[in-house]
Amino acid sequence: MIALMTVPLVMAVWLSLNFITFRTLDAPEFVGLANYQEVLSDARFWQALRFTLLIASISVPAHIIIGLVVALLLDETSGRMRSVLLPGMLMPMIVVPVVGTLMFRQLFESTGLFAWFFSEIIGQRFIFTEYSVKALIILHTIWASTPFALVIFFAGLQTLPGELVDASAIDGASRLQQLRYVVIPHLRSLIVLEALIALMDFFRLFDSVFILTEQNPIFKADTVMTYNFRVAITVQRLGKGSAMAILAMIGIFVVVIPFLIMTYREQIEER
Amino acid sequence: MRPVTNPIGRFVIYVSLIVFLLWSVVPIVWITLQSFKTQRQAAARVPLFIFRPTIDNYGRLWLDSTPNNVAVLAFGLTGVVVLVLLGVFAGRLPIPRNIITAGILGAVIAIIWVIPKIVDTAKFYDYFVNSLIVSVGEVAVSVSIGCLSGYALARYSGMSGVVMLLVALAFRALPRMAFLLPFYWMGRMSGLHDTYFLVIIALVAVNQPFTIWLLRSFFMDIPREIEEAAMIDGASRLGAFLKVITPIMWPGIFSTALFTLLLAYHEFLLVRILTQSKWTLPLAMVQFIGGAQIPGQIPMQAAAAVSSTIPIVLVILFFQKQLVKGLSAGAVKG
Repeated sequence: MIALMTVPLVMAVWLSLNFITFRTLDAPEFVGLANYQEVLSDARFWQALRFTLLIASISVPAHIIIGLVVALLLDETSGRMRSVLLPGMLMPMIVVPVVGTLMFRQLFESTGLFAWFFSEIIGQRFIFTEYSVKALIILHTIWASTPFALVIFFAGLQTLPGELVDASAIDGASRLQQLRYVVIPHLRSLIVLEALIALMDFFRLFDSVFILTEQNPIFKADTVMTYNFRVAITVQRLGKGSAMAILAMIGIFVVVIPFLIMTYREQIEER
Repeated sequence: MRPVTNPIGRFVIYVSLIVFLLWSVVPIVWITLQSFKTQRQAAARVPLFIFRPTIDNYGRLWLDSTPNNVAVLAFGLTGVVVLVLLGVFAGRLPIPRNIITAGILGAVIAIIWVIPKIVDTAKFYDYFVNSLIVSVGEVAVSVSIGCLSGYALARYSGMSGVVMLLVALAFRALPRMAFLLPFYWMGRMSGLHDTYFLVIIALVAVNQPFTIWLLRSFFMDIPREIEEAAMIDGASRLGAFLKVITPIMWPGIFSTALFTLLLAYHEFLLVRILTQSKWTLPLAMVQFIGGAQIPGQIPMQAAAAVSSTIPIVLVILFFQKQLVKGLSAGAVKG
């Protein structure tokens, strides 16, 4: 099992040190760090990285807040109400991401529902431009990732000890104070976990961008992964693509490792 | 917290929940509506909500030519209905459960195999079958490996859980590309490129840490005494695992399998890179992404989207409770 996971990684490092295209698959040429140099001096790579970071910095907090609020509200309702609402709310998670993106796109195409709303209310046609496509990608990531946050926060709320809340109420805590000092701390480790998972997922976001841009460079909406795909498969630079993947990996670990250490400490404390 | 009793408060709660529900389902409802329209209706600038539904889009998507043999079709449909009924009422029949399950599975496989021989199915059907093979294969491999290693991790060391969680998260963090390009290269070099085998192995490698982690948290719940009792009664460790632990674990294994199924069914990039002809449904969608510019495309696109979503939605909604339970158990217990 470990071999299954580490062997590819070692190979990725090796591939990244070679110049390989599809025609020279069996005759890789060793070029050392040239691929890395090329990636780091590639303006499009930095552009893709900036957009990826933008997505993460908007979508991570947004979907956690929405998920948390909805989980809290859902906690107020009766069991029957929940069993009606929950399946619908989980739909974005179940729908195949590619299809979900298509659904989003159809809403905004010239024949779509929102495009119509848009033109009725603002009096202007909705067009796919660099900014609107980027906004759509961000909106879609929020749409698609909220249900998961909702489910785990909701499950977390169910384990909230009732005495704690009652005690705080007796001590005269207002609803907001209860939320701030009892409920949120209880969910803290879950929120961190979800933030971590989402951060990673957004960093390797591919499907929705691929669909929404149809890989159209006009929109300048490449994320690191789609640009990587373009380099490795479309332009057939396997070596450079691997170098980029390795760099992305190092990048994500730099961001994630503090979180990982935090989770590690927390888990040890619990034991 | 105490429930909100203030009527205005409750009203606000319900309204917000419904708004969120709408936000979640409107895209799905809209595309479903579109899929039942003709091209003209779908392309109308002012959206139509009341129209005469047509199933032509689905017909064109799944079939190359309209079947003329109505009797065969009716027979097939009856078969499906009988199977579903059998599945629902299986508990009440005086036949052992295992036989019924095996029978239903066998019948489903037979039907899937027979359909292309009777009616003239289009490429989309092949994609559907590919999806089935890849996801079911991935679930089978991944869950059986996951059970053994999850069990071992849960039993043999105190810290293993934390380490496993970290590894699972770390591997989740890896960009797919770092995995896929080597797999692609190996596949090309060994001639395995474009086979189910390679796709399934790659999927297992990508999703496995998560599966192990989830299963481990379920195994942690089972008191050690149970298997010790079985072992004192003369069972071997393997025997205890297969005959005692696995049955208790069944709900946990099941929800893990569901989640793995979801991940496998959703996979796009991996399949896109590792195959040329063994396309699965998410990939098949891409040929429809041409968008509004191509005539006749919108309803077809919608029909394809709905068709490729329905199987997984049915499965998941049917077992929704287990999935939610599994996810929350995994996440909350860590």
